[in-house]
Amino acid sequence: MESINLALSMQGVSKRFPGMLAVDNVDLDLHAGEVHAIMGENGAGKSTLMKIITGSFSDYTGVVKMGGRPVALHSPAAAKEYGIGMVYQELSLAPPISIAENLLAGRLPAGRLGLLDRKAMAREARHCLSEVGLDVDPFKTVEELSQHEAQLVEIAKVLGNRPCILIMDEPTSALSQDEVQRLFSMIRHLKNRGLAIVYISHHLPEVFEIADKVTVMRDGRKIATKEIHELTPRSLVQMMVGQDIDEFYRHREAKSGWLVLQVNNLTRLGFFHDVSFELHSGEILGIAGLSGSGRTELARSLCGLDPVDAGQVFLENAPLKPANYPDTLQRGLVYLTEDRKQEGLFLRLSVRRNVIASIFPLLTRFGIYRPEKETAVVRRWSETLGIAAASPDVGAGTLSGGNQQKVLLGKCLATNPEVLILDEPSRGVDVGAKRKIHEAVMALADSGAAVLLISSDLPELAGLSSRALILRNGRLLGILEKAELSEESLLLAANGHWEPSHA
Amino acid sequence: MPRTASPKNIVSAAVESAGIYLVALLLAAGCAMASPDFLTPESFLRILSAVSLLGIVAAGMAFVTYSGNMADLSIPSIIAFSGIVTVAALPLGLPLALVCGTLAGLAVGAMNGLVVGVLQANPILWTLSVAFFMEGFMRFAWSNNQLYPDTALGTPGASFIHIFRLTIAGIPLIVLVMLGLFVAGHFLMTRTRFGRESQLLGSCRAAALTSGIRVPKVVFCNFLLAAFAASIAGVFLTSMNKLGVFYLGQGYDFKAVTAVVLGGVMLSGGRGHLPGVFGGVLVIGLLTDLMQHLGVTAFRQNIVTGIVFIAAVGWQQYRLRAQGKDYA
Repeated sequence: MESINLALSMQGVSKRFPGMLAVDNVDLDLHAGEVHAIMGENGAGKSTLMKIITGSFSDYTGVVKMGGRPVALHSPAAAKEYGIGMVYQELSLAPPISIAENLLAGRLPAGRLGLLDRKAMAREARHCLSEVGLDVDPFKTVEELSQHEAQLVEIAKVLGNRPCILIMDEPTSALSQDEVQRLFSMIRHLKNRGLAIVYISHHLPEVFEIADKVTVMRDGRKIATKEIHELTPRSLVQMMVGQDIDEFYRHREAKSGWLVLQVNNLTRLGFFHDVSFELHSGEILGIAGLSGSGRTELARSLCGLDPVDAGQVFLENAPLKPANYPDTLQRGLVYLTEDRKQEGLFLRLSVRRNVIASIFPLLTRFGIYRPEKETAVVRRWSETLGIAAASPDVGAGTLSGGNQQKVLLGKCLATNPEVLILDEPSRGVDVGAKRKIHEAVMALADSGAAVLLISSDLPELAGLSSRALILRNGRLLGILEKAELSEESLLLAANGHWEPSHA
Repeated sequence: MPRTASPKNIVSAAVESAGIYLVALLLAAGCAMASPDFLTPESFLRILSAVSLLGIVAAGMAFVTYSGNMADLSIPSIIAFSGIVTVAALPLGLPLALVCGTLAGLAVGAMNGLVVGVLQANPILWTLSVAFFMEGFMRFAWSNNQLYPDTALGTPGASFIHIFRLTIAGIPLIVLVMLGLFVAGHFLMTRTRFGRESQLLGSCRAAALTSGIRVPKVVFCNFLLAAFAASIAGVFLTSMNKLGVFYLGQGYDFKAVTAVVLGGVMLSGGRGHLPGVFGGVLVIGLLTDLMQHLGVTAFRQNIVTGIVFIAAVGWQQYRLRAQGKDYA
């Protein structure tokens, strides 16, 4: 009886990347008129699975059936043709262009001379917008809209292709509570119209509110698909994180030595305001904050990659020059960027060149490069982090995400940092690489360095940190002490639900 | 095994760029067929001295390309400027005149380095506008005139025009200077912190910044090097022509980039080496020689050089695309 409204069925679908199986033999059924949540930690394979459905890969294995017949989703165009639409986390709209042109891109109504037919444009755009309950002037530009309205336009654009399956990737990450509710009522409306909706989110309460079914993924495999009423938040979290959570995170003793880093009233207008805190040797200080809370901007300004408007940073009691990262790095404060592909690694260069990229001052004398030390450094970090590369001379871009991240960490660790700022140190890496990274970070802290940890990965943040700063909308709200640290407390605090326990 | 400038690795670099030397060999064979007396040491030296000016400019230009700044199009004006200033300063005596000429060229390079390195101007557009400005400036300052040195016997001018014609042990000075620049440049590129950081910068500017590399300084030094090489070329070219004038370096920008790209230095930066560039210089020299033997006129030679450039860049892009986007 269920097969009647079966919109899409995957059987034994896998996708391999060099060095890792990102999606491992997954079966998944999507039904019309249902909101199906896909949950899993970062790197569990959710996004890869969605990319398969939306036709990003031509080389997945397994069978995808729609309406009982196998279909080949080997290109985005093919997926679109079969009625699969996706609303991306980063909106795909062009901000300086009108809503109508964004909505009708590729099928703009034109008159005989090729001139645009503005009346028809307005009519069609209004029709699209009415489907998502948005009543705005279609000739407004997208940049004039609020985040929520832009998102609705994005959804309207996808709906314009008449999809039967709509995939939404973290659609609420930039929305207020109120806007989330409006989005949900729209999702319910679409569901009742018979769309199959795939909903990807990290937010448990949302999933319990909107989803009918939940599929949990872990390490590329499907763990289970359950009806939402069969689940509790606790049982869902257990499925997501697996059994060995406490084993995996060796809870460190919250040691802290001398004062290493002191941040006084640091401000970058529009990003973060009046942030002050202290960092001690041997300590791993977490930053709990959602993306958009200013945590990455804080880290970048702190180390001198971005400017500051006010405030000062003291490293070992001496002030750091603002906006001078080379100087900061020489003095022992190192930043590991969250964007390893764009600005972390030299993907075209070898592992060797990447690992030594920050330590040329150590490897040269009077400007002359002395290669004899290089091999020892590269070998040390390859072995410590377990970088799986055929040789240090293979291109960093040929490695898997996990190994790339290890190379990036190796580059930072090779400088022998006194303070290491980690921004999403294990995003998009496999479990094994994550463990190696965590071991290395803990070893660094044990050796007396101070670590500032920014992470969206709550188990990681809760497991590694000895304390956590709570950052919300660019302001420091307080500090969670070790005893209070848990995934729940971090998530609540980052969302603004935090009561100081000893105010 | 570490990639350094040990003799073994100079050899391996040469093997990597064997392709361009193979082309050079084919062209040499073509020359030999076109003119039977080609296969003599004299004609080998003649080819080398004919490409020396280009070689000197290309050795400097390669640093700009290697560090991800594509090309310095103000090179022709630096050549002309250093030459004119040298001639103008000849009354001060030859050594001081050479210093003045080189400093004049370096000043332009320093300006390029500051604007591109610190203010992050687009290198192509900036150096193009500098070339335009410098031409106007030189025409204004010297009232559109050609500047002739006083070449009476015993004057600094006489020694100056002799520079281009100097030989040491039968080898023209300019050939030795070119070879010296290539050797020093190769050392600089592979064995110094500056060279290694230039490669990082050329491979990915954003990653160079997050690696704590002083990007503005590295860019500055690369433009300064290119200007230094162009100034030396300017001195030789002016000495050869026995006059200083604003249009003297014309065409060297494009020919140098062609040699650099032919030699396997990627326009996108970060890859290639000077032994390859030397091969590229040889190919252009041999190609020109062959065309002269075949009686191809100068304008048609330009057409051929243009086609060679397009083919070389096309081939680079094709190879990069074939390797995938992570390498582009």
